[in-house]
Amino acid sequence: MEIIFKNVTHAYEANNPLASLGLDDVSVKISDKKFTAIIGKTGSGKSTLVHHINALLKPTSGSVIVGDRTITSETNNKNLKPLRKNVGMVFQFPESQLFEDTVEKDIMFGPMNFGMSEEDAKSSAHDMIELVGLDEKYLEQSPFDLSGGQMRRVAIAGVLASNPETIILDEPTAGLDPVGRKEIMGLFKKLQMQGRTIILITHNMDDVADYADDVIVMHDGKIVGEGTPSEVFNDEKLLTGGMLTLPQSARFAQRLSQKRFKFDKLPITLDELSTEIKQQINGD
Amino acid sequence: MNNIISIKDITYTYPDAVSHAIDNLSLDINTNEWLSIVGKNGSGKSTLTKLIDGLIEADSGTIEIDGQTINEDNIWDARKKIGIIFQNPDHQFVGATVEDDVAFGLENQGVPRPQMVEKVDAALEMVDMQDYKTRDPQSLSGGQKQRVAIAGVLATRPQIIIMDESTSMLDPKGRKTVLDLIKRLRHDQNMTIISITHDIEETQLSERIVVLDNGRVVKDGLPESIYNLGSELTNFGLEEPFSSQLTQLLRNDLKLPEGFLNEEELMDSIWKLSSKM
Repeated sequence: MEIIFKNVTHAYEANNPLASLGLDDVSVKISDKKFTAIIGKTGSGKSTLVHHINALLKPTSGSVIVGDRTITSETNNKNLKPLRKNVGMVFQFPESQLFEDTVEKDIMFGPMNFGMSEEDAKSSAHDMIELVGLDEKYLEQSPFDLSGGQMRRVAIAGVLASNPETIILDEPTAGLDPVGRKEIMGLFKKLQMQGRTIILITHNMDDVADYADDVIVMHDGKIVGEGTPSEVFNDEKLLTGGMLTLPQSARFAQRLSQKRFKFDKLPITLDELSTEIKQQINGD
Repeated sequence: MNNIISIKDITYTYPDAVSHAIDNLSLDINTNEWLSIVGKNGSGKSTLTKLIDGLIEADSGTIEIDGQTINEDNIWDARKKIGIIFQNPDHQFVGATVEDDVAFGLENQGVPRPQMVEKVDAALEMVDMQDYKTRDPQSLSGGQKQRVAIAGVLATRPQIIIMDESTSMLDPKGRKTVLDLIKRLRHDQNMTIISITHDIEETQLSERIVVLDNGRVVKDGLPESIYNLGSELTNFGLEEPFSSQLTQLLRNDLKLPEGFLNEEELMDSIWKLSSKM
């Protein structure tokens, strides 16, 4: 689903004279079936932006178009179920949303809430637990007996079980070990390949370079940069303004260029960096 | 050698669990050392922290802190020597203002008010947050919140700081601020730092790395010796350091020195090769 923000402003506590702007006249298009990363400092408006996509927050002014739905300040809370079924959201620390007494019931809750039969929800739970890399035997356990990383996977399975078309992930891998992080990031990439739209909020610039097609950079409730990862990480203005940090490969290249090396465009992945270094040394 | 913490043969099993979370583990930690504890999710890192802080009691074995074997009678004294900084600063706030929040731990220890004010001010100064004294903690940035959480820990003057993935939720700038602060505290206050982390780059700040797997210490050594494990690191849920991944990609085509190279060493080797360009 294509998602379009048109001049969206969101004021927290709109009636308060000290109201602060969570979003400040934001216009942006998030492409269908792409992997879009949203980056920016803590408090820059990333979470506020994505909470508008399934109407957890509504614009104070402006509109958000999600597929065939338009959300404005006037949108009422009825009939939001179809939208929320299509837009799955994995929050920060999703394990804090677990509440059922078995993993299976927890994964089944979402789909049944959206009208799936018990039988279908059960079979979906079995598929999803495998998809997130956990053994089926966990289905019978209490989610609270699992390790942090396992709980995270169960929570993600619960969101995927409703088969949403668009998946929003708010720092889904914080606190996971690097191997677990790679597995989970690989899973999101796979879901995209299967035709879903992925929107990822992250502080991990290496993940942005490795997985994203498009990047949106936020600062003080505004969008200050947009483009492919390579375009964004080569944007002088953003870098000198301290609005983003570079992936490790780009940082390394930047330091290499203090002596002899010259990069027309900073490499942003390990493969790009190693290829460039070899070419510049061997001259082929 | 002066051990601030000495752990001997401890085992711990969670109620109803089939396997041990900590399995006959022994570990000595030196005063003023910066130790990283790494390992996959579920390897026993957090359980070990809880055991050290006396939040749970080992089924067998002993833990000595600052020369005292901990038991039910002295656990509260031992805990005063330890400050823990958790992953998510939002879960750690209780006060309505920054200074109330920092004072909380002292109030718990029954410190009289004049001394409390003095200690709170000193702690906020150490983390460079004195200007934010009267602010609501929720209005701060992630890095600032974590600094206030650290001030709360510092106010009680612990000898040992345990960082339980305390930088993993921070943006890169916030993370750097916190790590610089920890570096300084260790140096100026002679503190012992135990850092539980998944971030291999962060472990480069420490002097020693202990790898846990299935509740046991499987590796214990200098950072370089651990990094030299190369791709074996992934068995323990760790990523290879950036410099070692890059070295591997370059090694086939370029003549680089043997063994683990940190970023500086790799950069110098590449520059050397390029001087012949």
